[in-house]
Amino acid sequence: MTPDSSRLRMGILGMIVVSLFAAMLVRLWYLQVLAAPALSVEAQNNSVRLVTTEAPRGRILDRNGKVLVDNRVVDAVTLTRTDADRHPDILARLAPVLGATTDELTKRVHDDKFSAFKPVPIKEDVPKEKLIYIKEHQSDFPGVDAVQLTQREYPNGTLAAHLLGYVGQINDKELASRKAAGYKAGDTIGKSGVEQAYEADLRGQPAVEKLEVDSKGHVLRTLSFQPAVQGHDLQLTIDLDVQRVAEESLQNGLDQARNVYDRVTGESFKAPAGAAVVLDPNNGSVLAMASNPTYDPRDFVDGISQAKFAEFQDPAGFFPLNNRALQGLYAPGSTFKLVTGIAALEKGLIAPTDTIADTGSITVGGRVFRNALSEANGRIDLPRAVTVSSDVFFYDLGKRFWEARDRFGTTPIQDVAHSFGLGGPTGIDLPFESEGRVPDPASRKKSHDDNPTAFPTRDWFTGDNMILGVGQGDLVVSPVQLADAYATFANGGTVYAPRVAANVLDASSQVVRKIEPQVTRKVDLPASVRAPMLAGFEGAVADPKGTAFAAFQGFPLSQFSVAGKTGTAEVSGKQDTALFSAFAPADNPKFEVTVVMEQSGFGASAAAPVARRVIEQLAGLAPQPVNRVGGSD
Amino acid sequence: MAAPTLRGVRPASRGTTRELAAPWRHIDLVLLGAVLVITALSLVMIYSATRNQQAATALGGGYYLERQAIYVGVGLAAMAVVALIDYRSLPEFAPVLYVVTLVVLLLVVSPLGATKRGSQAWFQLGGFQLEPSEFAKATMIVCLSAFIARHRSDLDGGRLAAVLGLIAVPLVLIYRQPDFGTAMVFAGILLALLLVGGARPRHLGALVLLGVLGAGAVLQLGVLKEYQVARLSAFFNPQGDAQGTSYNLRQSQTTIAAGGLKGKGMFEGSQTNLSFVPEQHTDFIFTAVGEQLGFIGAVTLLALFAIVVWRTWRSAVVSRDRFGTLICVGVLAMIVFQVFENVGMTMGITPVAGIPLPLMSYGGSSTVASFICIGLVLNVHMRRFA
Repeated sequence: MTPDSSRLRMGILGMIVVSLFAAMLVRLWYLQVLAAPALSVEAQNNSVRLVTTEAPRGRILDRNGKVLVDNRVVDAVTLTRTDADRHPDILARLAPVLGATTDELTKRVHDDKFSAFKPVPIKEDVPKEKLIYIKEHQSDFPGVDAVQLTQREYPNGTLAAHLLGYVGQINDKELASRKAAGYKAGDTIGKSGVEQAYEADLRGQPAVEKLEVDSKGHVLRTLSFQPAVQGHDLQLTIDLDVQRVAEESLQNGLDQARNVYDRVTGESFKAPAGAAVVLDPNNGSVLAMASNPTYDPRDFVDGISQAKFAEFQDPAGFFPLNNRALQGLYAPGSTFKLVTGIAALEKGLIAPTDTIADTGSITVGGRVFRNALSEANGRIDLPRAVTVSSDVFFYDLGKRFWEARDRFGTTPIQDVAHSFGLGGPTGIDLPFESEGRVPDPASRKKSHDDNPTAFPTRDWFTGDNMILGVGQGDLVVSPVQLADAYATFANGGTVYAPRVAANVLDASSQVVRKIEPQVTRKVDLPASVRAPMLAGFEGAVADPKGTAFAAFQGFPLSQFSVAGKTGTAEVSGKQDTALFSAFAPADNPKFEVTVVMEQSGFGASAAAPVARRVIEQLAGLAPQPVNRVGGSD
Repeated sequence: MAAPTLRGVRPASRGTTRELAAPWRHIDLVLLGAVLVITALSLVMIYSATRNQQAATALGGGYYLERQAIYVGVGLAAMAVVALIDYRSLPEFAPVLYVVTLVVLLLVVSPLGATKRGSQAWFQLGGFQLEPSEFAKATMIVCLSAFIARHRSDLDGGRLAAVLGLIAVPLVLIYRQPDFGTAMVFAGILLALLLVGGARPRHLGALVLLGVLGAGAVLQLGVLKEYQVARLSAFFNPQGDAQGTSYNLRQSQTTIAAGGLKGKGMFEGSQTNLSFVPEQHTDFIFTAVGEQLGFIGAVTLLALFAIVVWRTWRSAVVSRDRFGTLICVGVLAMIVFQVFENVGMTMGITPVAGIPLPLMSYGGSSTVASFICIGLVLNVHMRRFA
């Protein structure tokens, strides 16, 4: 080997060395100069942990400031995870003291909804003497401490449970859409009712503790602490007293119906469920909203138990979590005559004084359509037909509308129904509202094409228009829709989106935000249309032949006039639905009351007495017990 | 043994007292100075990386600093002794050195050896651990250099096979500990020695190819321990598991980057102070430099290593004989390979392999062995005229 070759080889070695050092320099330049800003943030985040503690939610108040949902401070026992790991037997010792099983406590300790940097609350609502016992035997319970937590409290028990809603732990789906709003796993969130609808107002700002931790996650010190800010209070339009009366009356009415024999089915009415809605027709605010059966929101406070949850899902319990006032869909029966009557007058199908002879039945195409109990009402005009709830009269209107569809189009009744808000969401400020359905020839075709078994006919016949005229057929509406439609009539044509909330209040009860009434649309309701209908509604209550007359026997109508309409809807395979929708005072309406009761018989017998009791409360009259009466429709 | 030099420098006559003292007058002060500065920096960095963690223990915050200071003292003494013995007498002892190395490496994988973190690579001697494979680097450099120097111009296939055989035995023993990283260092040393020692280009090419294929096979055939595979796959997929194997890599790079241009300042920096980098005082000591002293400090450290490498390269060039040249090349290969692999690993450009940063990482065997190697280079350098 020559010296030249040697020099060459040393040169190659040198070049390899230089290139390796150059590679290191380039990488170092990249890391420390080019990428440093981004990676420095990571280094910072490495050693800083944010621990958030939820703020107490805002309270929920009724329109007079009475507390509907409050917060309660409870004593909770906490345990640090390090001590739980270091002393595996500690949970077994704690279990009997706290009245829990070791398994339950173990599950809580390892539940990752709790921050890894803070003691885990393993048992809430611990009696003081137990806390004292633990404190006195602290050496047996290393790492066990007590904290105070706030929990939802319901001073009125189950009252307005559906309307208020309940809170629960945020689920994955909710978390995914709300991460930007600062929610974290384990946070509490409104799951239904007002708690859900006004979540943003009720939820406060969580306390944020900035901790410095080492690589093992040990907390070294607190860098900063930002205290929690309690959520805003929410003042509702609900009147606690009216709500209570509505719920109790509904319950009474259902209880009574269950003792009444149903001639059609040959057994007692099942009366499993019902709803009541009270509106202020002049602004759409909800004074009361009841749904039966109900549930206890306290069951959700510590997380719903499996057993309770199963109970709520069992059909035998008639699904108490459903808010039937919003979600229940019912054929409106004769209460729909509001719509058919207005359509007939408004389109000029009839004049208010036009009469027909009601013989108790009408035969079309070989099929006989009868009044309830086949009662004959003689020669009657529209107001009278409303008062006595003549089906024949309204069957006839339905028939004539269809026969004259060249003049009125195919959907004159449906158009009025939609303009009054039936068959679509009212836009109430509560979640899960049902839409309902107002059938017409087009929807009939679509229903048949989509599902020929459930809707065997594709065409719309005269008989369909007749059945629609009396509020039967495929027609279904929710109680709040029906209430809103009657409120619209009562106030002279303004359709409001009902509102349950009035004001968002700060800690010193100052109004932060006012929730204004919301007008959905105005419908044209000239006196020539409204007056004959109103006469019919007043007669229904005041006239001895009126369908609700019996229910309002003894009610001081001269002081506080009531106008309303009974309804009895046939439901295939079930007993009749009882309905009653009323407003008062008739000449200057301040309240609208709608009551719907499933499988309870005639609206006149079952629903009107319940509504009467509510109206007594609204009128400031001495309370009378709900009293089921006889009658038809 | 005849001693022709690379540059044909005329061998000086020996014998007078003045001439006996002569080598010390030619000592490489630049190399020595760079080594001492690196060592001083090492002590500060080890202290900064361990003081917080140790302060809470019974050992106290200065524990690692004190121990490393002892190693440095021992290392300096060893360096002086190694430099003092004329390297030209070493080939005579090469066979003995080789056998002793093998025996010790055999003993360490026998029941006499101690196991730490999955590798049986240590002897437990009282409160200290001795890691023979670190010293084996120095002895193998001497032994291989002696063999190759003897066959300087006729390194044919047969002799090449002999060289490979010589290194294969200790390499397999070290690999069995297992210490994949140190085995790789040996491969690096071997290649450099063969390059400069005069191996034929096609042999060198074949060896490099073999090395690449071998590494691939080792990965594929599952010869590596699970943790070794995990380290390598973490290198190729760094976003994998943030708290697992790639945790080291992520934290290491984050820590270096946190230093930025000027660094957080000595004893500042959350990553180092809060112990976010595992093994920071040993294999990941470069991250402590990176975070606290920044780009400027890290480049200064690399420059110091560059000086050490440059002086070693120069010693190889000016050496009066091939044996001296090869010793320096071996040491150079060892230092460069370890610096590149170690620093590269902390920056994420080479796989994690558990190789210490010479003269910087905490550890007695590595420190003393590094000083011995520097002693060898000083030895060659100062006797270039002798």
